[in-house]
Amino acid sequence: MDGATLAWIAVLIIFSVDAVLVFGLTTLKAIHRRRRRNHDRRRVGYVSVLSRHLAYENCTDLITAQDAEDPAFVDALIDVRNAVSGPESEMLHRIVDRYNVTARLIRRLSSWNSVGRRLRAAVALAELGDETSTSILMKHLTDHEPEVRVQAARGLGRMRWTAAIDTIVERFGEETPPVRARFADTLVGFGRDATWPLIAYITVNHRFESEGPIAAIRTLATIGDDQAVAPLIDLLGEAEDIEVRLTLVEALGHLANAEAAPMLRSLLAAEDWRVRAKVVTALGEVGDPQSIEPLADALTDRDWWVRRNSAAALARLPGGLTALYDALDSNDPYAADAAAEALADVGELAAARDRSTAGTATPGDHALLAHMAEAVA
Amino acid sequence: MLHDLLAWTGYATIIYFIAMQSYLVLLAVLSGAALRRNHHLGRFGRITEMLSSRTTPPVSIVIPAYNEAVGIVDSVRSMSLIRYPRFEIVITNDGSTDGTLQELIDGFGLELVRIPYRPDIETAPVKAIYRGRGAVDITVIDKENGGRADALNSGINAARFPYALCTDADVILDGSCLLRSMQRVVEDRERTIAVGGNIRPLNGSRVELGHLIEASVPRRLVPRMQVLEYVRTFLASRPGWAAMGALPLVSGAFGVWKRSAVLAVGGFTRGHMGEDMDLTMRLHRHHIDNGIDYRIVYEPSAVIWTEVPDSLKVLRRQRIRWHRGLMTAVRDFLPMTFNPKYGRVGMITWPGMFLFEYLAPIIEIIGWVVIPTALLLGALNTATLIPMLLIAMGMGLLNSLTALVLDEVYGYFNSPADTSRLLAMSLMENFGLRQLTVFWRIRALVGGTKVHVWGDMERRGLVNLGAQET
Repeated sequence: MDGATLAWIAVLIIFSVDAVLVFGLTTLKAIHRRRRRNHDRRRVGYVSVLSRHLAYENCTDLITAQDAEDPAFVDALIDVRNAVSGPESEMLHRIVDRYNVTARLIRRLSSWNSVGRRLRAAVALAELGDETSTSILMKHLTDHEPEVRVQAARGLGRMRWTAAIDTIVERFGEETPPVRARFADTLVGFGRDATWPLIAYITVNHRFESEGPIAAIRTLATIGDDQAVAPLIDLLGEAEDIEVRLTLVEALGHLANAEAAPMLRSLLAAEDWRVRAKVVTALGEVGDPQSIEPLADALTDRDWWVRRNSAAALARLPGGLTALYDALDSNDPYAADAAAEALADVGELAAARDRSTAGTATPGDHALLAHMAEAVA
Repeated sequence: MLHDLLAWTGYATIIYFIAMQSYLVLLAVLSGAALRRNHHLGRFGRITEMLSSRTTPPVSIVIPAYNEAVGIVDSVRSMSLIRYPRFEIVITNDGSTDGTLQELIDGFGLELVRIPYRPDIETAPVKAIYRGRGAVDITVIDKENGGRADALNSGINAARFPYALCTDADVILDGSCLLRSMQRVVEDRERTIAVGGNIRPLNGSRVELGHLIEASVPRRLVPRMQVLEYVRTFLASRPGWAAMGALPLVSGAFGVWKRSAVLAVGGFTRGHMGEDMDLTMRLHRHHIDNGIDYRIVYEPSAVIWTEVPDSLKVLRRQRIRWHRGLMTAVRDFLPMTFNPKYGRVGMITWPGMFLFEYLAPIIEIIGWVVIPTALLLGALNTATLIPMLLIAMGMGLLNSLTALVLDEVYGYFNSPADTSRLLAMSLMENFGLRQLTVFWRIRALVGGTKVHVWGDMERRGLVNLGAQET
């Protein structure tokens, strides 16, 4: 066979593939359109049947075994499940039991289905929150597919299946950052029950790695349990990794508990400007009036970010505004500007204008208006 | 001797095109695998959880503006409605001469303020800073003209939050695009330094009050060709590059950047015509040179819509500017090309950009001259030439069709008319339009036209876009 013949064969193959793609694309579009339309129609139909079942105990609308196999039926169940509570929720669970929906989904999740089918089953199990699925979801916390692990954790979280907390926390260090972030969301859903397992995990691991403990500290901050404050203060005293320390400061700020204020204030002398910048913000969030003076001192910090964050923190503190007005006369233009910005952000500029118009302006108002007038000039 | 030279040059040109199209088809296949996976994950993502979380990182939306008086207020209003828990909008008015600043002052009730502005990146002088005290957290930096990159740098200087979404004033952001792109940041905050998004042409679509109501394929050939190009680029190339961890370009029209990383490399390069590619590549180089673990990712479900040139005249200016940007980048990053130190960026994507983007117009123009000459002189065997040309064309078609199939993952264009328009375009673009773009890129190489560092679009404003295709 000569080169030209081979080239013509190649042409034939390539254009055949092109033709298949054109046919495939048009068919795919048509199929998708029809499938979406039919799925939506069936889903709406199932929602109304399920609603009638919930409304009338003796409803005679038939749900067949074939219906129960239909993905649109599962979607409708999820829709209704998310819309009802109390006795209606119990009734819905009875329907789920009667038609073996959970068992079907478990089979789908456990079999060698495509990733998409397994994922849909995992999501449906997570959404339906049927307690008969807890053991299978626990098993799939170590599934080879990351998103299935995430959905398994999410489902257990929705059911508040506290037995899963330790397993999820233990996997923190082994998981990739995306899965870890999703596990963290699940743990937030468990609320206070997750506090001590997370603290134990951070205490054991912060010396060996930073990513897992950082994710765990952020999770604790989001949970917002005051029980975490004292252990986090202790950890701040021990931790050496700078990123872990910064996250601890941030978390203590989020938790906004005055117990953390003395420890945070002691860190205002930290050598690293990043620590000082986070600490002043955290002090603003904690809201302890004793922090006003140290924060006012921080307005003259050698780092610009620390000065700016201090001004913003003072604006949040009851009684902090006086320090900001004082700072308007500062020799450091950045400190004065930061104070003016913070005052304007909390509405002091508008109030000063109103008072000035009404003829009741204070010396502070004059200073603020004069500072802004300089900008105008 | 001349016969042989012409024949070999002609065949080499065609083989080059077959190689280029094969590279693109392979990239499309790789993109297909990445998109399939991403699609599954996107459907069950955590964006609603992020929306209510206190720890979702706040973002500064940085918008450079130059003579955008028509429509900037609508555009910013539309942006302010995106779903995200905490964000600010920082607009840099880069010495506009058309009243852009006044439109913003009137539209948002801005007040002149004196707030700390730290020039972490050197820019043209800032004249004033304005702040809105209304529902939209908006800051406007009024500065002297310095170009798009300079305006972006100024916005990044003034940004208060750790991540900056750099975008344009004339785009429509999909409601959840910021959540979807920041989802990739939240997944791995320490390493993620940039996230690119999926840009789609807006022309021909129905727009109401700055919001996209229905996407459709434009009837006019020039924007329709660009729809196909954007689909190829954003669905059949970038996901593949990103899957390899070697994305060479986060588009200027939509890119989320970690502020500290941008500051570490000195921000966007002032006066660069491809400032987005330049910054992406400098970030790669900086992190690899310093042994810092990082990732630059692409999120295809983070969609923004932008108006693309509607006429050949505007398209020509845009393409010349783009190619000049590429030329500068190719020159600047030449030491990274085929350099194993830079991993897949140095060995796969950047050589790909050099061979199949930078060199393509040069080789194509050689082909136009050599192949007809060789045919006239009888140096080329038509029995071999014709199938080779058909292979090159068939592979190009294959690339476009694969991209259109991949586009079905998102299913924006649903009507049969849209499908047939795009299918027809994938054939038609080979006859005239593609050759024109090659010619413009050659003009860029030889420096035939003066271009501006600011964009080339003739602004109509978002409110007027809906009526343009009637």
